[in-house]
Amino acid sequence: MIMIHRSTTIAVALFAAFGSSRAESPAASTNSTVGMPARIDQLVIPGTELEVKPIEDRREPLILRIVDAFPHGSAFRYNLVYYALEPGEYDLRKYLRRKDGSELGEVPAIAVRVTPTLAAGQIQPHSLQLEPSPPMGGYRFLIAVGASLWLAGLTYILMRGRRTAASRRVEAARPITLGERLKPLVGAAIDGTLDDSGRAELERLLIGYWRDRLGLQGERPAVALAAMRANPEAGPLLRGLEDWLHRPDFDPKARGEELAALLRPYLNADETIPAHEGEPAQVVAGGTS
Amino acid sequence: MNPEAPAPSEQGDDASIDSECLNFIRDVRQRVGTVVVGQDVVVERLLISLFTGGHLLLQGVPGLAKTLLVSTLSRTIDLHFARIQFTVDLLPSDIVGSEILDQRTNDFRIHKGPIFTNLLLADEINRAAPKVQSALLEAMQERKVTIGNETFRLPTPFLVIATQNPIEQSGTFELPEAQLDRFMLCHRLDYPTPEEEKEVLKRNIALGVRREDRGAVARTEFDVLDGGPVATTEALVRVMEAVHKVYVSDTFTDHVVEVVKRTRTHPALELGASPRAGIALVKGARARALIHGRHYVIPEDLFALAEDVLLHRIRLSYEALAEGLTGPDVLREILGPLGGRAAAPEAALANGHAH
Repeated sequence: MIMIHRSTTIAVALFAAFGSSRAESPAASTNSTVGMPARIDQLVIPGTELEVKPIEDRREPLILRIVDAFPHGSAFRYNLVYYALEPGEYDLRKYLRRKDGSELGEVPAIAVRVTPTLAAGQIQPHSLQLEPSPPMGGYRFLIAVGASLWLAGLTYILMRGRRTAASRRVEAARPITLGERLKPLVGAAIDGTLDDSGRAELERLLIGYWRDRLGLQGERPAVALAAMRANPEAGPLLRGLEDWLHRPDFDPKARGEELAALLRPYLNADETIPAHEGEPAQVVAGGTS
Repeated sequence: MNPEAPAPSEQGDDASIDSECLNFIRDVRQRVGTVVVGQDVVVERLLISLFTGGHLLLQGVPGLAKTLLVSTLSRTIDLHFARIQFTVDLLPSDIVGSEILDQRTNDFRIHKGPIFTNLLLADEINRAAPKVQSALLEAMQERKVTIGNETFRLPTPFLVIATQNPIEQSGTFELPEAQLDRFMLCHRLDYPTPEEEKEVLKRNIALGVRREDRGAVARTEFDVLDGGPVATTEALVRVMEAVHKVYVSDTFTDHVVEVVKRTRTHPALELGASPRAGIALVKGARARALIHGRHYVIPEDLFALAEDVLLHRIRLSYEALAEGLTGPDVLREILGPLGGRAAAPEAALANGHAH
């Protein structure tokens, strides 16, 4: 565009330098490409004022427009803009006419060249490239799928946790038999292989056993133990345990058999200790009552 | 008969215990018994505190002869006795003492407070402001007080017996757990049995009046105890030494550790017992064993003292309180597993006490 402008200006300048004879026949020739507007400035055309012919055929390959028109002595000076839709050489004079309806007469040819940018012979547009289609359902669909997966995972975790807690409850509610807990301790005590913590546990078990047998669960601990010690069955056992476990001068060799005799009835005790505090024992121990 | 009180046949049956110790205990109990009817367990707790140097907190409504008991004990063993009635406007200097300007010499003179005694009865300790309570409890812990720039050791033996009225709580400052922990035992006094109360009335009827100067005053139970002390401080020291010779088996230690541990893991408890509680259990059990004529401790000592040692050191959770559980209930559960009840958390869960 700039080049056109410059060349046209130069052409106008040359026309002015070499006299009106040349001005009356301007040999303006410009180049442009298909579809791109081109401009011709300061073009002096002799005669009365010109105007662009109305477009009668919509398939006309070139469009011309007079931007400005100025009186220039006996002639007129024009600024023109045109663009072509097909390549080729055109004469702009063909698109002009006199405003007063007279003949064009002395108007020289105004030749322009429109060149294509497409390869020669290519008349079809480029083939369309198929773009990948968007995800199915779009963003909302993806959100819904994600939320469903998250809920499913959460439900699974919760249900699994509930099952674990329930299985724990079942495990805890399982009655622990006195025999299960007493047998190894009593056996080790009779053998003389029971360690300190085992002795303590054995004493606790037997105190608890008699507390339940005598129905003293609701009593104050001190009262319950005093009652157990006064009981004709529990008393000798508890005192024997006290001697064995707490007296510093207890002689296990001399009184070992006595102690074993006290403990032996509990070796095969099969009483079920209910897991719930205060619940009565289900089965009476064999050999102890 | 109170099951916690020693059976006559059990007393003094151990030849390995110094007979002087047994005589001391028997004489003191008999002497106190001439003034105070019943309350055998309280007397036993007093002796345990005295023998181990652990302080005692008595909880009970007014009129249960708390002051009379402590006063009688001090006069029985020849100990110096002082009583402070705690009120809201009491100041720390009212207890420990202060520096006073002597106008004759223009020097500061130390005025020792009532805490410089052997037996101090801090009556209604929860009525005093926290700073007064902490001043007393600091002295209880360190057995010395600082007045001005000077530090004074408290007399030995030194024993604080504090009382709390569990009924009237308005205008009181509840002792925080850290301070309650300083008390080795916290005993809850019960009303006397009908027989004991009848005996109290009979004795009171027989008191009569005492002539003074040209007038007369009605005699009170405080006037009953006449004559000098039946035991000396030296004998008390020998008993204290004998307590430390009482044998504690590993099995008993295991029981104590187990009980204390269970207070820390029980779901109904927000605060469990401190290691000091375990120490108090062992110390108390040794003294109790000696009082009962044994030179070794047995589980009975643990069961007898568990309430007094542990109940004031544990705190129930809000959930347990909402369920209506009480400290003795929880302690019964804690001591219950000693007898074989599964006290594992799973069992507690199954038992409906999971929180």
